[in-house]
Amino acid sequence: MEFGPLVVYLAAAVAYVWHFARRQRGVGRAATAALVAGVLWHTFVIGMQTMESGHVPMTNQSSLISTFVWLLGVAYFCTELASDERAMGAFIVPLMAALQSIPAFHPVAEERAAILQGPLFQVHVSSLLFAYASFALACMIGVTYVLLFKEIKAKHLGFFYARLPSLQVLDSMNQMAIVVGWIFLTIGMVSGVVWAGQAQVYAAGDSRVQSMSLADPKIFVALVCWGIYSFQVFAARRIGWGGRRSAYLSALGFAIVLLNLVPISYFLPGSHAF
Amino acid sequence: MHLLLVGISHRTAPVDLRERVDFHARGLPAALGALAQRGSARETAVLSTCNRAELYVACEHLDHARVELVRFLSEFHGVDGVELKPHIYESVDLDVAQHLFRVAAGLDSLVVGEPQILGQVKDAHAAAVTAKTAGPVLNRLFHFSFGAGKRVRAETALGSGAVSVSFAAVALARKIFGDLKGRSVLVVGAGEMGKLTALHMKSQGVHRVTIISRTMGHAARTAEAIGGASAAPWEELDDLLGTSDIVITATGAAAPILTKAHVETIMKPRRSRALFIIDIALPRDVEPAAGEIEQVFLYNIDDLQATVQENLARRGNEVARAEAIVAEEVAKFNLWLRSRGAIPTVVALRQRFEDIRKAELQRLDYRLPTDARARIDEVTRLIVEKLLLTPTEQLKALGATGDVEQLAASTETLTRLFDLAPAQPSTTEELERESSERVKPFPRPSTKTGR
Repeated sequence: MEFGPLVVYLAAAVAYVWHFARRQRGVGRAATAALVAGVLWHTFVIGMQTMESGHVPMTNQSSLISTFVWLLGVAYFCTELASDERAMGAFIVPLMAALQSIPAFHPVAEERAAILQGPLFQVHVSSLLFAYASFALACMIGVTYVLLFKEIKAKHLGFFYARLPSLQVLDSMNQMAIVVGWIFLTIGMVSGVVWAGQAQVYAAGDSRVQSMSLADPKIFVALVCWGIYSFQVFAARRIGWGGRRSAYLSALGFAIVLLNLVPISYFLPGSHAF
Repeated sequence: MHLLLVGISHRTAPVDLRERVDFHARGLPAALGALAQRGSARETAVLSTCNRAELYVACEHLDHARVELVRFLSEFHGVDGVELKPHIYESVDLDVAQHLFRVAAGLDSLVVGEPQILGQVKDAHAAAVTAKTAGPVLNRLFHFSFGAGKRVRAETALGSGAVSVSFAAVALARKIFGDLKGRSVLVVGAGEMGKLTALHMKSQGVHRVTIISRTMGHAARTAEAIGGASAAPWEELDDLLGTSDIVITATGAAAPILTKAHVETIMKPRRSRALFIIDIALPRDVEPAAGEIEQVFLYNIDDLQATVQENLARRGNEVARAEAIVAEEVAKFNLWLRSRGAIPTVVALRQRFEDIRKAELQRLDYRLPTDARARIDEVTRLIVEKLLLTPTEQLKALGATGDVEQLAASTETLTRLFDLAPAQPSTTEELERESSERVKPFPRPSTKTGR
């Protein structure tokens, strides 16, 4: 089921990179068309899974990543529509294709554990996914910022100079993505804590619920992320950490998010082994 | 019908001659009117810029039109034909299309890829349309040229990158700050170069331009010359540096007026707000090491000149891709041009069918009530149109393939089968109507025939 969107995303990624390098209008349109087709197909896949399990697929790592990729696709497409700027697609869509390969090659059926019912759990997971999608956007915008910054500093105005929007625009886009991501990260974490508290009552015997503490790797890393992004939202600019340093911070933050989303989930499941 | 181009440009004529053959002096409408009166061409358009004066015409007799156009150029401008002739170039048919498409794409411009020319080509076409001297052939030719120009701009980097130092500075500022509206510019020194760059910034709609100089009087005078700028005394330098986004230094000082340490103290309270310093003074006004500071972008005159050179080289590399696009568009135009070869036969065929229909209707006419007559007229008209739709399209398609022998054989057969008169559409309007006509849906307002 997850293979279809993967193939279309790969095609879109190739088209975006090609368009970025050669700037042919037709290729750019084809890239957007492929992305839309991929997202629509993905919507269908997620919709089917939702019908099957009764909730949005996010109770195991594979489907979580799949939903995350879908959100990222939707978020990026909105950005492209709003800014009429396809340059960022060459960075985001390949990331989507890479991540989508995980659910495509490791499909896991949705389970309907009693412990995972209830609205708070849905809020918890969907807020976090949305936050992560924003952070992914921020990271890619940060990367392009640094690439352009280096070209201007080195006085060699070449490839990226001709293709990317201005530093100022990239910086404010990055900042906006970080703020949105931070808000959803906070909502996701708070709702997670509250939900875990409720679960202690109605599923006290579950070993996963028992291990929900700060010592749990997934929870700990999420807190580290929150720390980094809080610093970036509230403190960085006050001490002159805007621009390039802010871009580096968003790359670091997203690297940790990815760490949490993929390796930790697979190798150190702990409390979140659903 | 042939296409013909006669003209002079910066490639063939010196500037004093180009000035004398400039159509703008007396206006394009006058030129188009005078040209149309000569009657040597069916359709005419005039493209006139400071680098070229070109006549585009669609005509039946090439040799006649050629002589007439050269004579027109010399007589209209009062330039001796003997003097003019060596500088004139001409093209015929597809070469005309290729030339115009290259012009519209900026490939034939003095500065390759300059953007104004496409607008000037559009103006030339608009003037010909207004003067009613453009017909179906030139309309199509010019529309294809707009398409070619747009494609080259969108798909190649031919027009990208500033090719003068002042524009390079503005382009850089835009790449750092995005929109320049609301930005503040500080010019240090009241010299000519600083003024010029400040003027370019001003034209981008910056919020504030301040001139600062060791002599207040100089600063005030330069500020006045720029218009809308203000002058400030030297003591305010540090304050102004702190609040400006773009700083242009152009003093005659022998030693740097801004050291790295100085810029560092300025940057502290700015936090991460970017500062773009353009040092166009010689010797330099700003210590090069100041460019190492985070969020300080320091460019001197040599750096800007280097980017201009890079841009020119890059444009050169794009020429081949632009030429390929032009060739593609010429091929498309050629298809359209060839498909017109079938038009006389199509017109004759339609005329034949229409004559038969009319004759039969006439015989029925007096036996029928009016509303039935209108109805039958409409139905028969539709039948004829639908019967002829496929042959028409097939014939045009055959013309488009360029297989002249096949087309000739088909038209010959049709002429014999239907006993067609050798019809030559008399006006260009008829041609245009013919080539755009489609079967309309039934019903439509009926046209009454007969009495």
